[in-house]
Amino acid sequence: MNMDEEKDIENALRTYSERIQFKQRLARIQASADVSAYPVETEQSGQIRALWRTYRTTLAVAASAAIITTFGSIFLYRSYQQSHQQEQQYRLLSKEIQAVKYSQRKLLSDLNGRGRALSVNPAQVSGSGFMLTSDGYFVTNNHIVLGADSVYVQSTKGEVYKARVVYNDQAHDLAFLQLCDDSAFRPMPSVPYGFNARPSDLGERVYTLGFPREEIVYGEGYLSSGTGYRGDSTAYQVAVGVNPGNSGGPLLDEGGNVIGIISGKQTTLEGVSFAIKTNYLLDAINAIPAEALKGLPLRINRKSALANLSRKQQIKRMQDYVYQVKVFKHKE
Amino acid sequence: MKESRLPVLTDEELLMGLADGSDDALTHLYQRYFPMVLYFVTSNSGSEDDAKDIYQEVLIVLYEKVRSGSLELHCQLKTYLYSIGRRLWLKQLAQRSRFMVRDVETPVSDEFVNGQISDDLAEHEERDRQFDLMADSLNRLGEPCRTLLDDFYVQHLSMQDITEKFGYTNTDNAKTQKYKCLMRLKRLFFSEYKQD
Repeated sequence: MNMDEEKDIENALRTYSERIQFKQRLARIQASADVSAYPVETEQSGQIRALWRTYRTTLAVAASAAIITTFGSIFLYRSYQQSHQQEQQYRLLSKEIQAVKYSQRKLLSDLNGRGRALSVNPAQVSGSGFMLTSDGYFVTNNHIVLGADSVYVQSTKGEVYKARVVYNDQAHDLAFLQLCDDSAFRPMPSVPYGFNARPSDLGERVYTLGFPREEIVYGEGYLSSGTGYRGDSTAYQVAVGVNPGNSGGPLLDEGGNVIGIISGKQTTLEGVSFAIKTNYLLDAINAIPAEALKGLPLRINRKSALANLSRKQQIKRMQDYVYQVKVFKHKE
Repeated sequence: MKESRLPVLTDEELLMGLADGSDDALTHLYQRYFPMVLYFVTSNSGSEDDAKDIYQEVLIVLYEKVRSGSLELHCQLKTYLYSIGRRLWLKQLAQRSRFMVRDVETPVSDEFVNGQISDDLAEHEERDRQFDLMADSLNRLGEPCRTLLDDFYVQHLSMQDITEKFGYTNTDNAKTQKYKCLMRLKRLFFSEYKQD
């Protein structure tokens, strides 16, 4: 036992001394070994390289994040630019339409006899309008007759009458004309359509007549919203194909009731047109001063005489009461 | 020695030379495999001195395994040394709380060899502890016992030399003195060692 323990401690001591000696030998060899002989090592020293090695992964992550961000931004900017360009194209397109419209009107005015007489100042606007009463009261859009020197209306048969502006309602873009100033005008049979002040329902089948060109043009569609452009509650949105020149035309439902007056459309969207509601038309009629009407109040037909007729019959009856409005004014 | 390259020794010859305490073998081991460890350590945020310390420890592990005759190599010596060095350095890095590793060689991937290396390292740690404990015990032993034992076991002085150096009347006297010192060392060493 005692001997064993003596052996143990001696062994432990021997191990201890062996390690010390081995370390000494190693230290000698390490000292004698030419460390700079290892090309790896000289290459490796240097703080920057050590830093680079330590933070390489972090740098790689940061760099890829930067690359993704950069290209992502460029991509987003490009796509934004593209969509922006498209918007501009729309605007350009609508401008072109304006230009075409303008040149067309110029051309039309030259063909028109009276227009030719006034061709010194040939700036004209044309639109549509229709009879309110058989004795020559007439309604159209205010924007058509705005700043007019003279206003003429032309029927589908080609008869031209001079008209007088009786009253403007700028808020609702309505203008009232009177045809009977022109001696050529003879009172007609009473208007076949009625004026319905009740709000119409969505999906109501509607149609319109107007003069986007020299001929009367029929268009039909449906009532698509109870409010107009940007939520304008005085107008309906209708899905009827209309063009410049349709302004002021009547909007009728299936029973032949005038439910609105075409006033405009949204250029950026297809098939989105707006019509002023009939009850605002009636309000405007009530607001016309009595002296402008020469003491005789307007008698508006409330009941449609077209209710039981087919669409073709309705149109045939109606088209005599829808006129093209031609406006002559001095060029600014 | 670098210039006059000796015929390239095989791994077995190197290990045998190491066991015999040949300086040649040790120099070879150093020259052949130190650059690898150096490259690894410097690639993983260590300095040249760190690499030297690590490689020294690696060689101590190898040397003590060889001396005790318990070395079983199931992979190339190079891979063994790299794996040992890698583990030792990673342990140090963990203490410095860095965790990224960039390998410059393929470490041991075999399950069995990995386990063996872990065992070898555990054994090495145990020896480390013994070594530190022995150094501590010797220090606490006090003079003249410390020098006496050091001279005999570490410096390998003969009993005769020691008798003269310490002024004992004869070698028997010196031997008795050595035995007494050894017994005191034993008590110091084993009281600590067995507590753990």
